Amino acid sequence: MEAPDEALMLAYRRGDAGAFETLYRRHRGALYRFMLRAIKQRSSAEELFQEVWIRVIEARSRYAPQARFTTWLYTIAHNLLVDHWRKKGLALVSLDTQDVSVESANPARQAEGRESLARFLQALEALPAAQREAFLLHEEGGLTAAEIAAATGSNEEAAKSRLRYAMAKLKAALDD
Amino acid sequence: MTKRTPEEQQISQRYRELAREEPPRALDDAILAASRRAAETRPAPLVVPSGRQRWYFPLAAAAIIVLAVAVTVHVERERPDEEALVAPAAGVLSGMRTEKAQDMAKTEKATPPPPVSAQGFTPDPKPQARLESAPASPPQVMKESQPAVAADQRARDVDLLDSDRLAREREMRRQAAAGVAASRPAPASRADEPARETAALAKLAQQSPEQWLQGIADLKRQGRHDEAEKQLAEFRKRYPNYRIPESITEKFEKR
Repeated sequence: MEAPDEALMLAYRRGDAGAFETLYRRHRGALYRFMLRAIKQRSSAEELFQEVWIRVIEARSRYAPQARFTTWLYTIAHNLLVDHWRKKGLALVSLDTQDVSVESANPARQAEGRESLARFLQALEALPAAQREAFLLHEEGGLTAAEIAAATGSNEEAAKSRLRYAMAKLKAALDD
Repeated sequence: MTKRTPEEQQISQRYRELAREEPPRALDDAILAASRRAAETRPAPLVVPSGRQRWYFPLAAAAIIVLAVAVTVHVERERPDEEALVAPAAGVLSGMRTEKAQDMAKTEKATPPPPVSAQGFTPDPKPQARLESAPASPPQVMKESQPAVAADQRARDVDLLDSDRLAREREMRRQAAAGVAASRPAPASRADEPARETAALAKLAQQSPEQWLQGIADLKRQGRHDEAEKQLAEFRKRYPNYRIPESITEKFEKR
């Protein structure tokens, strides 16, 4: 049986570098994709991805398993995303109800357009940032609506709403 | 989100068909190396000093050390030179003091302490203690280290005792003659009287001969002849070879 994330983090806090490596390998792919699809810019995504883990390392002495490790990890990721968007002059919440036109996405992908998967990806990229983030936290991080709310600093109803909107739009893209 | 609907499962399925990107190997290596470095060292400080803040502590420590050294050097330089301060007084008195020291050394050997007065006067049982409680000798006396000076000091102590005793006897006779027994001070005050006199004499002994003579002349001028005579006798005892200037002698003779 695999050691839970929280136990690994506590072991790392005590100086067990191997525990961190296990933890890292367990979450590296999901977090990387979360970042990559949240901001759609590989260099920035990699930079933020690295920054999340550096913060985990630096915060090891203060870590207390009050919630799931995953919730804590994605809370750090969310805060960095907010900072990133703020620097870019974008607001995460204001994009909540704003639909970004699918046609404004990558034209090359539009040309390929008939492919179902491509449409799905375009629909995902076209989601408002908060909805996309909620969907990615759910799919990549495995977070529940309550955990999404905790990670993003919102309430559970708002998290559920964002998730529901995201699902509806993606479902529409699949049905096309 | 405990139970997924078929639609949600379909969406999730389609999402997982997308490319499963992974972080590049270099990124993995950098993060794992950082984690190992951190595990080997102490936890990083909450606020890492950076930029100008890095220099605050060393600068503050250096400033404190420099300030402490500067203050110490300044205090050392500002301290008055005791040799320079006592030099003039010591110069005036040195010749007389050496001469007197020799005389006193002789006196100490030749003259035993006088016997207790036959008039029933009870001397202080601990004269040495009284001497010790008297004000300290001036610095110029303390500074001298010749054996003659030590003899001088001992002789002066003996003189103080003698003069003290004589003064008290004289005072008692004077009071008896004047019939002022009723106005005598309280026992507690009487007990303090010898100490006061000793202190006064010790104070006089700290003066230069010229100052002392001037004080005696002042007493004469004020009509305090008994006191002046007493001090003059004490002065002559203290400085037997001192030639009193005529100008002062004239003042003494004027009544």
